[in-house]
Amino acid sequence: MTEVAIRAERLTKRYGETLAVDGVDLAIPQGQFFGLLGPNGAGKTSTIHMLSTLIRPTSGEAAVMGNSVRTQQIAVRRSIGVVFQEPALDRTLSVTENLRFAGALNDLPRAEVKRRSEELLELFGLSERRAQLTASLSGGMRRALDIARGVIHQPRILFLDEPTIGLDVPNRRAIWRHIARLRADFGITVLLTTHYLEEAVDCDEVAFLSAGRIVRRGNPRTLIQALGAYIVEVETPRPRELAEQLTPRLGAALIEGDRLQFCCNREPAELAALQAELAVTAQAVHWRRPNLNDVFLWVNHTDVFEKRAA
Amino acid sequence: MMVRPVAAVLEREILKLLRQRGRLLSAMVRPLLWLLVIGAGLGAVRATHGEPAYQTFLVPGVLGMTLLFGGMLAALSTVNDRESGVMRMLVIAPIQHYWIVLAKALAATCAALLQAALLLVILGLLGYLSAQVSLPLLAAGLIGTALACASLGMLVAAFSPTLDNYATMMNLVIFPVFFLSGSLYPVQQLPYALRLVATINPYTYGVDLLKHAAVSGAATVHNPDFTAALDLGVLIGFSVIALGIAAARFSRDTANEPLVHRLANSPRG
Repeated sequence: MTEVAIRAERLTKRYGETLAVDGVDLAIPQGQFFGLLGPNGAGKTSTIHMLSTLIRPTSGEAAVMGNSVRTQQIAVRRSIGVVFQEPALDRTLSVTENLRFAGALNDLPRAEVKRRSEELLELFGLSERRAQLTASLSGGMRRALDIARGVIHQPRILFLDEPTIGLDVPNRRAIWRHIARLRADFGITVLLTTHYLEEAVDCDEVAFLSAGRIVRRGNPRTLIQALGAYIVEVETPRPRELAEQLTPRLGAALIEGDRLQFCCNREPAELAALQAELAVTAQAVHWRRPNLNDVFLWVNHTDVFEKRAA
Repeated sequence: MMVRPVAAVLEREILKLLRQRGRLLSAMVRPLLWLLVIGAGLGAVRATHGEPAYQTFLVPGVLGMTLLFGGMLAALSTVNDRESGVMRMLVIAPIQHYWIVLAKALAATCAALLQAALLLVILGLLGYLSAQVSLPLLAAGLIGTALACASLGMLVAAFSPTLDNYATMMNLVIFPVFFLSGSLYPVQQLPYALRLVATINPYTYGVDLLKHAAVSGAATVHNPDFTAALDLGVLIGFSVIALGIAAARFSRDTANEPLVHRLANSPRG
């Protein structure tokens, strides 16, 4: 049996009147790549901060590598690396000086820090930059350095809070390659939060948070499949009317302004026929394969997931 | 166990100080301006009354000034660390959070001492140091004052989450502490109200201890106001209390989250 890296039971965080995290249960096995997804303000960062001992749960319990986040904070922090939304780097120090500082804060001997730094800089393509001041690095390189900083002490678990936020596409891809290599080379457990949902499709498991609660969880590809073969989108000036008309054939509709969305298991030929049929009443009809963004849009439609699962 | 993290904080502070040439230069120019310009000017006034050279009296005061500015500014880099994100590295490290306060205070103490040592060399070259100087008292005075100033800085930093510029701090803390001490004038000669304030100002005792050390002439020239033992006792006592409060406040802040929220919400570095 795989050991559990992160366990949370009824984990709750309240700020005054606001319930930021509302009874979250987690059991993340070692080595898993886990994605905590949801819109801004859903409670992702509060959850990560509770798991990394930076904020105290209002109620509930959580353990990281078997250590309680309430009573064994130092042991928890020793086993984790955290990459925050904002970089945790000293811009006035060089690349290697930042890693040396982070390594020493984790009580690593200097020789060990040097060896690890070389390894990580090589892995992240920063070797040429080692003497450069951090302030002079590009945003993508700084994020890569921040991740190296987060794993300098070889933590068993890495928390990544929106690691690609604010980066352009090539840099986002580079960050994902780095994370993949860390997982492959060190078997590190990764807990990721992101609202770029397409980036979470490679996770072993994802959980969707909404208003502090986990509303759905599962393997991302399984969740996508559960939606059906196609997403049909219809643009129309009279969405409600058309929704009523089409629901008997396509299932429940999601109405967003003048757009209707259905998820269905029809054949392309049938959909082409539908497109022709609606040519007069609708402005546009498209169909495409579903993705994780669609799972997010349909996340509260229990019937869709449960019907398909059954 | 704690040696490496504390040494890392110390190393970073010194490295930054040595890299910021402007900070180091101004730490030398400020006291020398007081000594050579104001000291000479006021000395000329006093000379007409047949008093001993005012500049000689000022030497412990300007040494103390270097420690005060050096220690306070280094301690206040804690506030800077919060803004710049370095504090995230510190709070996520597997150390108790009060160690962050103690390590930063130690780093500030050392940064202040480094600047004072540099100033001592310059004062020596300019011929302001006396042969009668008591090295043990000088060391005690420098270390005690540096520690007290760094502790005061940590106390201010712990209670000033929104401190956004050093000018405010300079005017509200550093200058009052400097002027209301025995740096520029013997405490005994101050009007009653000011003397009272100077007596409760821990920095007064630092400068007083430096006067005992006879840096620039016999102790009689400097007219220390208190005994050396009292000076040292006050400096150490104040440092322990100030650091205790700062560490408690900082740990409470991290435990109760305002700090984490500030870190999470601060603008992208």
